[in-house]
Amino acid sequence: MDWILPLFTTGQIANNLNLFIGLFIGIGFGFILEKAGFGTSRHIASVFYFSKLVVTQTMISAIVTAATWVVVFSYFGWMDFSHVFIPITYVWPYLFGGMVFGAGMIMSGWCPGTVLVGVSTGKIDAFVFVAGMLVGMFTYFQTYQYFEAFANSGNLGRFTIDKLVGGNMFTSSYLVTVILAIGLGVFMNVMKNIIDKKRVKGV
Amino acid sequence: MNEKYWNPIFSGFLLGTVLFIAYAVAGQGIGASGAFARVTAQLTYLVDPNFATNAYAGKYLRSGNALGNWIVVEVVGVMIGGYISAAFSGRIHQSVDRGDDYPVSKRLMFAFLGGILVAFATRLTRGCTSGQALSGAGGFSVGAWIFMLSAFGAGMLLSPFFKNQWKGV
Repeated sequence: MDWILPLFTTGQIANNLNLFIGLFIGIGFGFILEKAGFGTSRHIASVFYFSKLVVTQTMISAIVTAATWVVVFSYFGWMDFSHVFIPITYVWPYLFGGMVFGAGMIMSGWCPGTVLVGVSTGKIDAFVFVAGMLVGMFTYFQTYQYFEAFANSGNLGRFTIDKLVGGNMFTSSYLVTVILAIGLGVFMNVMKNIIDKKRVKGV
Repeated sequence: MNEKYWNPIFSGFLLGTVLFIAYAVAGQGIGASGAFARVTAQLTYLVDPNFATNAYAGKYLRSGNALGNWIVVEVVGVMIGGYISAAFSGRIHQSVDRGDDYPVSKRLMFAFLGGILVAFATRLTRGCTSGQALSGAGGFSVGAWIFMLSAFGAGMLLSPFFKNQWKGV
């Protein structure tokens, strides 16, 4: 076989072609986000009140789909997944940063991906969120020296599930990913049912 | 003519497939927050060239142009794609989305404050719901799940404080 995925990080396509394809990957992503209902802050906020499950169901389905493609292509030797960049795991900054992120999400009803669709479809609250993001980024740049040690704490490197529980990509990593995804879906469903009953009673 | 949204399992299947194409071609997942960091760095650099030595953002400016990066091109694509879809579905109009009867000024204040928090957080978490949660979890990263559960958990715990803003969602 004279090719293997990924194409760019193994040097099989040039930077310009990679950028050109990247534009279309973005267009596909944005198109689907809008069609899935991610273009309004009301839908993003609804997750936290368990009133609609669209956002989490879409995410769960996307994670399982991507993981399945990775496993299939790797199994047949069409992809060398070690050449695909996966963010390094930093335990403490991810735990704390995740909480700050969640607070910002319930406050604003946006995250950095969905707000792009909000901006291009005319949502004023999306433009204001973007202005806030520029301020937040600038603040981080200017105060980084105080956070540098914390931001790099708990570094586990490229830490996939099989490194935590043993096994490999095709066994534990794939299985745990599917279980976590389905578990999240069941949790959301159960919570929605409980809260819907309360809503009917008018509590 | 407000067309209906797609079935979430179907949207998720397509989203996951596009994410896989990004892995397969670019060798990285789909992100968003990194582009905002780069735009901020570039704007600051244009005002003050000394910013190129900034302890954090200096890495973006090594080539002199923070915007010359895959994620910036991809994010422009996301905006175009979102616009095309909304245009076909008759969903492009100016609005301030919020809960029923919530005052616009307070809504915009929280959108702004939330933007600050989200942006700051993404630098600690090396990405957002796209580049960290979705792209990481699709590639079996433990960190992606730490981030995702922490973010959704915090949002749920804090949700009672914002229930007026989101009344009826």
